Amino acid sequence: MNLLRRDFIIREPLLVGILVLITVLFSALTHSYSQAYDHRRTALGVEWFIRGNRELKNGRPAAAVQDFRTALFYDPTNSGFEMHLADALLQAGQAEQALNYYLGLWQSNPGNGPVNFQLARLYAKNGDNVAAERYFNGAIFGDWPGNPEANRRAASLELINFYLDRGDTGHAESQLMILSDNLPEDPQLRTRVADLYGHVGADQRALAQYRQALQLNSTYLPALVGAGEASIRVGDYHAALTYVSRAVHLDPSNASANQLLAVIQSVLALNPYERGIPEAEKVQRTLRVFDIAGKRLQSCGESTPASAASSIAPFLERWKELMATANGPFLTQHPEEVETLIDYAASAEKLAQDHCGEPTPDDSAVLAIAHEREMEDQ
Amino acid sequence: MSAPDVATTNPATGPATPAHPSWGALASRLTAQLAFNEDRFFLILAVFIGIFAGLAVVCFRITMEWTRLYLLGSALTPSPWRAFLAPSIAGLVISTLLFTVFRGAAGSGLNQTKAALYISNGYIPVRTVIGKFILASLAIGSGHSLGPEDPSLQIGAGLASAIGTRLNLSRKKLRILAPVGAAAGLAAAFNAPISAVLFVIEEVIGHWSAGILATVVLSAVSSVVTMRLFLGSEPFFRIPPVAVIRWEELLAYSVLGVLGGIASVVFAAAIGWLRPKIKASPSYMQFLYPSIAGLLIGLIAFAGFPQVMGAGYDFMGQAMHNQYTWEVLGILAGLKILATTLSFSSGTPGGMFAPTLFIGAMLGGAVGTVERIFFPHLTGSVGTYALVGMGVLFAGFLRAPITSVFMALEVSGDYTIILPVLVANMFSYLISRKLQPVPALEQITRQDGLYLPALEEEREQEILTVEDAMRSRPAIILESEKTVADAWTVVEATNEEYFLVRRPSNSIAVLSREDLKKLMDGGDLRPLEETQSLSVVPYLHPDEDLQVALRQTTNYPLVPVLSRANVSRILGVISLQDIMETYRKSNQRGPAHEM
Repeated sequence: MNLLRRDFIIREPLLVGILVLITVLFSALTHSYSQAYDHRRTALGVEWFIRGNRELKNGRPAAAVQDFRTALFYDPTNSGFEMHLADALLQAGQAEQALNYYLGLWQSNPGNGPVNFQLARLYAKNGDNVAAERYFNGAIFGDWPGNPEANRRAASLELINFYLDRGDTGHAESQLMILSDNLPEDPQLRTRVADLYGHVGADQRALAQYRQALQLNSTYLPALVGAGEASIRVGDYHAALTYVSRAVHLDPSNASANQLLAVIQSVLALNPYERGIPEAEKVQRTLRVFDIAGKRLQSCGESTPASAASSIAPFLERWKELMATANGPFLTQHPEEVETLIDYAASAEKLAQDHCGEPTPDDSAVLAIAHEREMEDQ
Repeated sequence: MSAPDVATTNPATGPATPAHPSWGALASRLTAQLAFNEDRFFLILAVFIGIFAGLAVVCFRITMEWTRLYLLGSALTPSPWRAFLAPSIAGLVISTLLFTVFRGAAGSGLNQTKAALYISNGYIPVRTVIGKFILASLAIGSGHSLGPEDPSLQIGAGLASAIGTRLNLSRKKLRILAPVGAAAGLAAAFNAPISAVLFVIEEVIGHWSAGILATVVLSAVSSVVTMRLFLGSEPFFRIPPVAVIRWEELLAYSVLGVLGGIASVVFAAAIGWLRPKIKASPSYMQFLYPSIAGLLIGLIAFAGFPQVMGAGYDFMGQAMHNQYTWEVLGILAGLKILATTLSFSSGTPGGMFAPTLFIGAMLGGAVGTVERIFFPHLTGSVGTYALVGMGVLFAGFLRAPITSVFMALEVSGDYTIILPVLVANMFSYLISRKLQPVPALEQITRQDGLYLPALEEEREQEILTVEDAMRSRPAIILESEKTVADAWTVVEATNEEYFLVRRPSNSIAVLSREDLKKLMDGGDLRPLEETQSLSVVPYLHPDEDLQVALRQTTNYPLVPVLSRANVSRILGVISLQDIMETYRKSNQRGPAHEM
């Protein structure tokens, strides 16, 4: 360097050349030093990550949080570690911290499907519906590391449930329609979607989905029962009978299917509004419906506590009054009185539903008939 | 083959110029181009200094981390026994090395760099740099409550000084080189080039020109780029997204500013009290103090607060992620003040940047958590408060208000935070200034017997302008077209010694009574313009610094003060005597320096 002090040698290119040389040497040394440290850090990060997973597996999320934090300290850019830390925090009941980590992850990658999904759940839990909806959509349209279609569907289904919990059937139905357009040929999934259609009141769409599920697997019991229930809701008891009979045939021990079948059979036997039945049959069915409701109320009135009995008493009084006109000849002469008796039966069964315990299939049938009539009137 | 040596003549331009210069001319031009040009080379050198500082800081940080791994283990929270023993044993090793090999490496790198700039022409011994590298790595890695930024700053400055000395640069350049290296070191340590540049200009150099700014920026940027090549561009903190600030929250941020100002004062007062006591103790005790400080910090860690050990960046991150209750955050802020006071006052090499940020983050986190408990409808996240808290302490303790704002912006990368940072920092800065007139760093240098320029005080000093010293417009202003006799008739009856003379070109000259009388007595009847007695004078404007006027009035007995809107309009005059009188009066109001 002393030579450099001499004017004839001090020239910028020479000095720059020397500085470049020193830079290269210094950089090479620093590189090998930092490489050695990087390897150690990476190894430590993995080591602590494994420990964290082990703790999580052993049901110790608080310990796992510490381990994942340490793993993240050694590999701060590893979003996988951060995601595990956030998940562990959530499991350890530290939702707010978890939320901060998820938000941090979201900021670095707003299209991350799992992060959006967790954020949506947390915001839904916190009651921030706007944010929850935004993140659910982020999860539906986001990137997923594995099985993206299934994960997006799961997010979509959860968004539908989120809408349903809020009573927002309109948005739920729209989301269901988007979802059902892209469903794979999976009877289980179609049945689940059909169930959700049932929850939003889109019974025809529900029925269509059950039918598609049954096309894929004609012996899939939940789809048969669901199709039966949806058929009832749309008023097609004959179709319901077909579906539910098949369900019972496939699984005779299925109590709910058997019960449903009994109700359907009762409805088919009792419904005075069924098209094509003679007038005399209509009268007979009306009398039976009136009789079923009245007897239920009578037996209930004798066994219920005083508070319930006081609300049943006026109905029993009314029943006694109506008994005078509840006969074939009168109803044949006064067909408009059929409606009076059916109205009474429906009201009585509704009251009994609140006070008199589980209904028999005949009682359920009376309620179903009354419901169907209300729907038709509307 | 050689180019024909033909000259062409351009009738328009006149002289002949060679169409193709000769090889000899080319060679001499090239030689001239290659000749050493210090100003140009200085800019190139700034880039290399930045690279070297970046590389050195990378090595420093890695060494610090290796030390931590070996001494405290790989767990984020060290085991109690390691936490208890490592800092005290490391303290003994540090003392031994400080007392034997690296005597100049104790304390804060920032003040040492500033001292080098103002006392030893920017010279920092290489031994000090090596000592700082080794001892600060050991101290911070073993858990002493200190930060790596000040040592990084000094390492950068030291490298720059060593290079400048070897290259035999001029004293002027050498003096500037240390802050250039300091900015590079700080930028790499902080991963924040703007804050580093501002801090060095705000706190070390104190003034700036285009040349200084260019070199400082070049070195800071090249150092950050180098550092990021090796350590990645990830910030120290994974900051949660900054929430939208509601106006009501500014009240909470004001409270944070007030608390931060008070905490800054407490922190500065604690160091100001303990450090001189330790310095005044017998040398064997001074030898033991780093170890004793380590032992006490170990005790704090053993008692369940290992977060106070080391720089504490990861724990600041945890505070931002709402991991602690406000009580714990408050305790951590208090314990960090205690631990840093112990470590720093004991002479253990290391800086106060990171501890300052730690205290601020904890304080901010505590205020944010309390706010969330009592006002849950407000949107600010605890992380935002912690981040603002960092800036607050930076403004209050280090007294760098502008840097503190930019630091918060650079660290968060979110412009939304600027409003609360401005509000809180202002409160903190004003409270700290009011309660602790001498800034902490200034206090430390004075304890060391050094009186370095107090840049904060300089900023606050009254700037005197020409307006403060000028006299009103003179009653007589002569026209240069007048004859000597006419001019004498006008001035004869007055007592003035000098007169302004307006010349046709709108310039102004000055004429003395004595010269005019001589001309009159000699029978010269020419117009004034034709005599040789007029001397053209420069002019000033009322808002110009009085120091500028001082330079002008040294050579001229009277200088006109002209309007900026109309330079032909004379507003007044100023003389050297007027300036001296104004300075005298200003000094009577308040002397510039007090011992």
